[in-house]
Amino acid sequence: MARDILIVGLSHRTAPSAVRERLAFPQVDLQPALARLAGLDGVHEAAIVSTCNRVEVVACVAEDARARGLETRISEFLAAERNMAHAEFAAHLYAHSGREGVRHLFRVASSLDSMVVGEPQILGQVKDHYEEAALAGTSGSVLHRVFHRAFAVAKRVRTETGIAGKAVSVASSAVDLARTIFEKFDDKTAMLIGAGTMSELAARHLKTQGVGSVMIATRTFERAVALARELQGVPVPFDRVAEYLKLADVVIGSAGATDYLVTAPLVQEVLRARKQRPMFFIDLAVPRNFDPTINDLDNVYLYDLDDLAVAVAGNVDEREREAVRGEAIVEEEVERFWRWFESLEVVPTIVAIREKVEAIRQRELEKALASLKDQAPRHRELLDALTSSIVNKILHAPIASLKHHDGREGTPDLVVSARRLFDLEPPARSPDDKEPDKESA
Amino acid sequence: MTSELVLLKAALVAYLLAAGAFGLFLLVLHPISRALGLSLLLAAFLAHGGAIAARSITAGHVAVVTDYEALSFFAWLVVGVYVAVELRYRLAAVGAVVAAFAFVVTLGAAVFYSGVQELPPNLRSAWLFVHVTLAFLGNAVLALAFCVSLVYLFHERQLKEKRVGERMRRLPSLETLDQLNYRALSWGFPLLTLGIITGAVWGKYSWGSFWSWEPREVFSLIVWMLYAGLLQARLVAGWRGRRLATVTIIGFAVVLVSFVFGNVFFPGKHGGSFD
Repeated sequence: MARDILIVGLSHRTAPSAVRERLAFPQVDLQPALARLAGLDGVHEAAIVSTCNRVEVVACVAEDARARGLETRISEFLAAERNMAHAEFAAHLYAHSGREGVRHLFRVASSLDSMVVGEPQILGQVKDHYEEAALAGTSGSVLHRVFHRAFAVAKRVRTETGIAGKAVSVASSAVDLARTIFEKFDDKTAMLIGAGTMSELAARHLKTQGVGSVMIATRTFERAVALARELQGVPVPFDRVAEYLKLADVVIGSAGATDYLVTAPLVQEVLRARKQRPMFFIDLAVPRNFDPTINDLDNVYLYDLDDLAVAVAGNVDEREREAVRGEAIVEEEVERFWRWFESLEVVPTIVAIREKVEAIRQRELEKALASLKDQAPRHRELLDALTSSIVNKILHAPIASLKHHDGREGTPDLVVSARRLFDLEPPARSPDDKEPDKESA
Repeated sequence: MTSELVLLKAALVAYLLAAGAFGLFLLVLHPISRALGLSLLLAAFLAHGGAIAARSITAGHVAVVTDYEALSFFAWLVVGVYVAVELRYRLAAVGAVVAAFAFVVTLGAAVFYSGVQELPPNLRSAWLFVHVTLAFLGNAVLALAFCVSLVYLFHERQLKEKRVGERMRRLPSLETLDQLNYRALSWGFPLLTLGIITGAVWGKYSWGSFWSWEPREVFSLIVWMLYAGLLQARLVAGWRGRRLATVTIIGFAVVLVSFVFGNVFFPGKHGGSFD
């Protein structure tokens, strides 16, 4: 095969959050990084998926690229982009290619590989990162297809299995944990530092569990005010978090920041002011907002995303069955995609075009002969030779062009176009495949 | 076998089974085992109470005089305090510790088993019952604080080390445990104080002096000061949680040491020698 799909990256399964948070790509860096990534030798198309829990390069590559050390070049690329020493994360990297790679992407988009299996945010994050690649012009027809299939698979898994319904989000597991520390919630105060989807969710959970009040501090005060109105909370200026911290029993961090917003000395001071009443810190941010050493302080409990994943794992059993059904859907879809992907090969496409046209010629030839009153054998020979010659002349240019492009940049685009022009749909196209096809665009 | 011994053995078996049932509850999380644990503990409490009553009738005075009687009565009171508290808080985890504690202490009491002892006439007064009940009730409440503190430390450790799961969610919340510990201290301490005061008064009537520097008295004074300091630290410096639990455990360890050590090695009036 001339092309392959390759995924190189690391995730919460292989790397601690300290590594993940340093390797994660801020959105502003994506466009230039994608351009450099696509420039690597052997890379035809490329996208970067970067969330709090994973950093992955998804690429369509030359078939022999792995053999020629592309994996290493990609991990060196990551090191250079993120200013890290290669050795700092190399041990955490994985690489999947072929069906394995497609399966991985489908599982990621379907939230089967998530920290909290079934959590809905990941699909949106994958979509956003695919769009970045489309914007950068580094995605072509293969990535277009594989990502859109991934979105469709995610949709199927969500609607056909109970994963999403039973999903215990990180947010609610954080609230469960708060219950093992605090007996009553009505005299407790929660504080949000930064407002991400997950921390908002956690705040809502706390609210339904009857938490006394919620303070909200975001970098832009307007956002805090708006959210406070929604949650019936109190907005707090971001630069005065330290002063208000002593009022908070549960502190949820999800602010974008390069340094710790809450340090151990600050918490010690706060604890003195609150007469050592316990505090529960939930760090949902990557990079983290709270200094990990505050967990060592008496009466302070700190959980970050990794810890919460472990807490969530307690309920995994009941979701396991649904996840197995999700995996079955993924398998089915991987096979389907793979048939399409293989059909992108030049030779089978040429064969398919020839077969299709030959079938038309034969059909029309029979029709014409049937309508002839005088069916002399030489008529058949003549018509046969004539139609063959026309067909071959017409097909010569497209087939020559396909052969000429075999193995070059942009072949899939050409093959896809050819298949569309000759109406050679990829095998087993699904009826639910409703996304607009832009392969030839 | 006397009815006292039959009841005592029944109580011992029931304590052991109750500890097992509560332990099972924490393992399999089935509500039935919790109900079973409570019923068994209650049955043990009644049987144990029956044994004490039977002995008291035989002796003609409340059976709190010999080492055996004292320990047995003490274990019984601890269970009583726990059952009373359990009605308000749902504390299966603490139940497991209390049942195991009652089993061990009662078994320990049985080791010192001896016949009933005649009381000298000068000691036959209501003061005996009042003094011993108050002092023991105080210690029983502190024993509960000890059990609660053990559960607290276990739970706290689990939380800190992020070993979370369904099992931990069945433990009472840290807030409840901490509050319960503090409440037990603030009930146990005054009871202990009253126990010491009534003992002094009784001593004055019986022997002519309020205080005779007996080992038990010295130990009681140490324990009393320890708990006084602990309550002070809680109120003023906001000591709570792990620190409070640790000192509570140390305090009660001193109580246990004074009980066993004091009575075995320095038998005095509290050890049943009244001469």
